[in-house]
Amino acid sequence: MRRTALLACLLLVSAAAPGFSQPAAPNPFFGNAQAVEQGAEIYGKTCTACHGASGGAGEIAPAIVSGVQTDRRTDAQILATIRNGVPGTPMTAFTGKIADDDILRLAAYLHALRGTAIDNPSPGNVAAGEQIFFGKGQCASCHMIGGRGALTAPDLGNIAGVRKTASIMDALTKPEHHIYGDGGSHLASLPPMDTWLPAHVTTADGKTFNGVLMNEDSYSVQIMGDDQQLHLFDRSRLRRFVVEPKSRMPTDYDKKLTPDEFRDLMAFLTRQGMKPQPERGGESN
Amino acid sequence: MKYTKFVNLLVFLLALLLPGLMAPVLAQDQAAEQALLKPNPANWPTYSGSYDARRYSELKQVTTANAAQLQAKWTYHMAGMKELETVPLVVNGVMYVSQFNRIDALDARSGNVIWKYQRGPVSTAWQRGTAIYGNKLYLVTSDSHLLALDARNGAVIWDVKSDGGMVLAGGAPLVAHGKVIVSGNRPDGFIQAYDAETGKYIWTWSPIPKQGDPALASWGGAPPNGMPIWVSGSYDPEQKLIFYGTGQPEPQWVGKQRPGDDLYGDCMVALDVDTGKLKWYFQYTPHDTHDYDALEMPVLVDRVFQGQPRKLLLQANRNGYYYVLDRTTGKFLVGAPFVSRIDWATGLDANGKAIIAQGHDPSVKGTVTCPSTAGATNWPSPTYNPQTNYFYVVIAEGCGVNTVVSSAPGAGGGYAESANAPWQAYVIALDAFTGKKMWSYQAVRSNHYGPGLVSTAGGIVFAPEQFGQVTVLDAKSGKPLWHYNTGDLITASPITYSVDGRQYFAIASNTNVFAFGLPDAPSGAKP
Repeated sequence: MRRTALLACLLLVSAAAPGFSQPAAPNPFFGNAQAVEQGAEIYGKTCTACHGASGGAGEIAPAIVSGVQTDRRTDAQILATIRNGVPGTPMTAFTGKIADDDILRLAAYLHALRGTAIDNPSPGNVAAGEQIFFGKGQCASCHMIGGRGALTAPDLGNIAGVRKTASIMDALTKPEHHIYGDGGSHLASLPPMDTWLPAHVTTADGKTFNGVLMNEDSYSVQIMGDDQQLHLFDRSRLRRFVVEPKSRMPTDYDKKLTPDEFRDLMAFLTRQGMKPQPERGGESN
Repeated sequence: MKYTKFVNLLVFLLALLLPGLMAPVLAQDQAAEQALLKPNPANWPTYSGSYDARRYSELKQVTTANAAQLQAKWTYHMAGMKELETVPLVVNGVMYVSQFNRIDALDARSGNVIWKYQRGPVSTAWQRGTAIYGNKLYLVTSDSHLLALDARNGAVIWDVKSDGGMVLAGGAPLVAHGKVIVSGNRPDGFIQAYDAETGKYIWTWSPIPKQGDPALASWGGAPPNGMPIWVSGSYDPEQKLIFYGTGQPEPQWVGKQRPGDDLYGDCMVALDVDTGKLKWYFQYTPHDTHDYDALEMPVLVDRVFQGQPRKLLLQANRNGYYYVLDRTTGKFLVGAPFVSRIDWATGLDANGKAIIAQGHDPSVKGTVTCPSTAGATNWPSPTYNPQTNYFYVVIAEGCGVNTVVSSAPGAGGGYAESANAPWQAYVIALDAFTGKKMWSYQAVRSNHYGPGLVSTAGGIVFAPEQFGQVTVLDAKSGKPLWHYNTGDLITASPITYSVDGRQYFAIASNTNVFAFGLPDAPSGAKP
């Protein structure tokens, strides 16, 4: 009873102060294709100059949408940011500047941009897809899921949590599928390489190593060997260091699998992972 | 001729009579003025180290012979900040590290904090530095106030709101001839001057041409817009001129709405420091649709050039060309590409005006253009070394794809890395007077928004890399002599200074400031 009263009171406060961050009703425009398109138009006119095209970060403001989904802000937090702005930054409050319905459309567009495969898994036989992953598709000869498989390509245990369905499909079917960030993006920290390009090393004392490039800098090189072991090198002690321009990832799965097999593989892959979670504390003690 | 002589005589007589009235610098500020005009090499008293923006230091304790012994001396964490672009100042052993609304004063030998000033709210927006004049430190706030703090304890001496409600940007203020020069982007680009002593507003200049200015015609009838100014400039005390770059015209990606050269966008402008009047301009990128802001630091050098003594202005521009101008007149002297691919222009004409190539406007489908909008180089500062006569700059090879979201007027747009011409950063040395490339050092993985540089009389270039390495290069050969991994991204320019006879280098790396120096006891020697 008291709880209900408190809740009602909170809702009243929220209603009285529209700028206040509250656990809002779900955005009525989520998943509405027309509204999302209108939201994209509003984004282009209002947000691109600072945040870059498609929310990938501009020169003035950070990314709203990352190619790899590391951003843990919730839809509600993003909506509140649009409405209220961020004090002390060029991000102004848009309440009063844009009609609230349009703010909701904008938020729906950002939700659509930010969503990943796990939000909308592909139809198909998941168990059959798993068999293709570990069998006919030979995916596990390079990739790993749930500790099964190999180390010379990205672990796919959370692929559906970080990539969109179209992006997974492109990786399986298109030679040029590398996802480039927006040009204006400011990286938040030093990332490892995620190109997984084949690399060949010969050391000064004549030993050779083949594998994929995990990272490099001006003075060192890190390789995951085909022997499934990490190999770390000092650049100045290498006689030969070659990185191939194309990854080993086959991009003809739509041809080498039957349409049903491909569909099942997509059904399996688009279910691997968990939805991006808002930042939350853990149990420390 | 006769008339000119008469005018000259008149000016001469006035100059004799009026210095007491004309000089805004009071006697007690002479020391402060001299500290900026002829900086003690132990200090780093301005954003660029000196008015000429060479970022060259006479300090030579660290040389090509001993650079390999450099080591980290201390690290200071700027709690709550991110992606620091700030250039610290050092005066008399005290380092000042700034953000919007915040300055931390440190013992430059130890990194130990002496005082902190924080005005509400905390801001992590990109900001590039502070300025000092005697005991006054100047701080721009995120709500567009200009503050003077006492450099000894961080106390607020005065606090003024920007004149006309202009939004002050994160470029470091420049103190010149008793004035604090600040700039910004909104509502359109502008530069303002305030009295360094009192904070009293003096003048505003804007790249928006006023009614009656012939430059207005360069917009084809469209209202001039944009041209943001978000980086500090350089200053020539003899001519009393400040030099600032201006940004791109707007709408940013759609050029057909503003047919013409769109002055004074993407220009170098020379302004009278006392009045803010435009003496000359040079436009690097006419009718820009690729956001080639001309905000790269102008470097001032005096030299006999093509047979006559000249006052030069050097700039490696974001558009891919290196320019040498006469800074008395703005006359174009040299232009040379410093990246391997430029396709937005087919070249420069005899006056240095770019000949625009057709077919490179941003499109809905995406238009490949080289260099990319991220720039062949960008705001991180270059350095000029008078020993080698080389101009050192961080560059990015590669191309970009420019898009607009629709063909509607004012449509937004953006840019991305071209998959066929990915970006790669290098530190390069150019012959400063021909633009010829002398050497090139690849910063592996670094691709854009890299850090700036410092060169010294010790024959070295202190060259941090975007991807966290701090490298010392031989100024003559570009050979790396030493490196250190700061473990985070670097998007700031380094400085060098000296305290108690020891030379240090300092650089901000994401949320930390690092200082480097030689070991306390030289390697191999007994203490």
